Amino acid sequence: MTEPAALSSAAKQERLVDEEEEFLEAQPFDLLAVPVIGPLLRWRHSRTLLQIPLLAISIVMIFEGLLGPTLSPKNMATVLTWVHFRGALVVAILCAGNLFCLSCPFMLVRNFMRKWIHPRFAWPRRLRNKWIPIALFVAVLFSYELFGLWASPWLTAWVILGYFAAVLIVDGLFTHGTFCKYVCPIGQFNFVASTVSPLEVAVRDHEVCDGCATRDCIRGRREPSSPLVILQRGCELALFQPDKVGNMDCTFCLDCVHACPHDNVGILGRLPAGELMSDPHRSGIGRFSRRNDIAALALVFCFGALMNAFGMVSPVYTVENWLERTLHFQNQAGVLAILFTAVIVVEPVLLLGLAAWITRAWAGVKNSWLGVTVRYAYALSPLGFGMWLAHYGYHFFTGLYTIVPVTQNALAEIGWPILGQPQWTLVGLPKTVVEPIEFGFLLLGLAGSMLVAWRLAQDDSEKHPMRAFAPWGVLCVILFLCCAWLMTQPMDMRATMLAG
Amino acid sequence: MKKQTAAHNLSGRELDFGTLRTIWAYSRGRRRAASQCFRVMLMLAAAPSLAVTGCRKPADSAQDISINESIAPRPVHTGTEAISFQLTNAMHQPVTGAHIQVEGDMSHPGMAPMFADAVEVSPGVYKTPLNFNMGGDWVVLFHITLSDGRKLERQMNVKGVESN
Ligand code: SF4
Ligand code: SF4
Repeated sequence: MTEPAALSSAAKQERLVDEEEEFLEAQPFDLLAVPVIGPLLRWRHSRTLLQIPLLAISIVMIFEGLLGPTLSPKNMATVLTWVHFRGALVVAILCAGNLFCLSCPFMLVRNFMRKWIHPRFAWPRRLRNKWIPIALFVAVLFSYELFGLWASPWLTAWVILGYFAAVLIVDGLFTHGTFCKYVCPIGQFNFVASTVSPLEVAVRDHEVCDGCATRDCIRGRREPSSPLVILQRGCELALFQPDKVGNMDCTFCLDCVHACPHDNVGILGRLPAGELMSDPHRSGIGRFSRRNDIAALALVFCFGALMNAFGMVSPVYTVENWLERTLHFQNQAGVLAILFTAVIVVEPVLLLGLAAWITRAWAGVKNSWLGVTVRYAYALSPLGFGMWLAHYGYHFFTGLYTIVPVTQNALAEIGWPILGQPQWTLVGLPKTVVEPIEFGFLLLGLAGSMLVAWRLAQDDSEKHPMRAFAPWGVLCVILFLCCAWLMTQPMDMRATMLAG
Repeated sequence: MKKQTAAHNLSGRELDFGTLRTIWAYSRGRRRAASQCFRVMLMLAAAPSLAVTGCRKPADSAQDISINESIAPRPVHTGTEAISFQLTNAMHQPVTGAHIQVEGDMSHPGMAPMFADAVEVSPGVYKTPLNFNMGGDWVVLFHITLSDGRKLERQMNVKGVESN
């Protein structure tokens, strides 16, 4: 080889290395490329592997709830459901993504059932929205307060059993992921919450999709000789990868990862809540600004967080007593219904309505009043998530170790005390440690909501972005102060159906 | 690789009669298995409810002992409150010399339980302070060891402890 040729080859090599470095820098973090975790998740049965332990725990919880101690703090069903499961779910969403749906035990049972029972019906077109799960979500929050679900292992076990039954009935009759997309209230909670997650199932390279003829990520991988036979399911939630934006409706099931013949789907890092800052067309969803139902879901998510925390502090009883006296009303369900209506319906309508009216009048935003309200409703999701995190995180961290004595107790009760006698004094992290973390979560939520509102305002009014933003910024601060006030109130947890 | 039928990815309206007939014939054996599977599932679902009525823990060994507990002042407020109680046997005689540990639990799981040892202030009458450290519904458990070694447990619900 001649000298100049060698030089040019070295220069070429150097340039290649530079380009590769640039390319790598431009590539977002991909969880599937992480050693050990990546190969594990790529394994076709990874989901089942995660679901099996959760199914086993669910079965133990059902039996323990029905047959174990009647006292809630001593029963695995109530401790795991209301302390650990809820807390771990929100912490996982904050740190990674919708990991609960990924390891959902209900889907394992459903998939097992679908080996024999093939659903024949399509979910009615008129119900293809979020109104049913919104109603169910509110019903769960309402029942939680009315029946004091946290205090009853028996009711908790029946809630879990009911969930299994609902999944089997709905997905036994209707095709695709009907239960996840159009019914499951936990799923909707996870979908809205995971809009602020740092990870997203997304395509690695859109150019590869441009040249893709099979679209297996949504159609499913089929047997070449017999296209009716599906070897690997595609997305059951109707999310077509190249057009998918964000985490809404994504269960992290990884079917698309396994189905894509070009290995072009990853679990990529992204800006948390970034998907709320713009309004593109989303596969399987459409535009957020045209989805009043998803906007309502985001509002129920946010104001439901306030209501759920309000039901656990002393002032709620002052308000309930006042309502009973003023309305000469003794019915607890009725009083609770009035409170729920005030917090989850009247309050958001008034606050958001006023903010939207100011945005239109002051910043000259042309959109309709409802249009502005719907568009900015999503901005409250991070703050709502901050409140759920603060609330559930509080129970999770302060009761972290309670799983140890309840497990010891459950084993001792069945005559197999291999873990020793229950150490009931094992509880969790001290409040002095947990309380600053709670406020950190709330502040994170506030920052996220303000940022989203600001970016939307910038798009809405090039001339007066500050005017468009101001009402929403003030609204976020008001809600943050409400959340912070709630967190400082003395806890007061009363259950109407106290375990006897 | 495991195969699934196309029915998984077809909506009901897309299924024509021929396809349905193929799927129906294909799944005949599976339907039989499915009906068996459903029977098993039904039995599994029924088992806990039957068991819940028939599988309670055996009654304790000192059913003749009754406890008459009281807490003052009412309504109970957060902080330390005095609990007193009287143990009597079937003949309404005071039960003396028992060792009693009192445990206070919140109705919500994940909260720290409060413990205290009761002292006998007069024959058969025991007393202890207990710290109700937050508002809400509490359950007070009395873990009793009688002087003859028999053990029993009694429970008192303290509803609506008010925050100060
Ligand atoms: S994600 Fe994979 S299967 Fe889907 S369009 Fe892109 S390349 Fe094709
Ligand atoms: S896009 Fe669809 S298939 Fe892919 S992980 Fe999400 S829900 Fe599953």
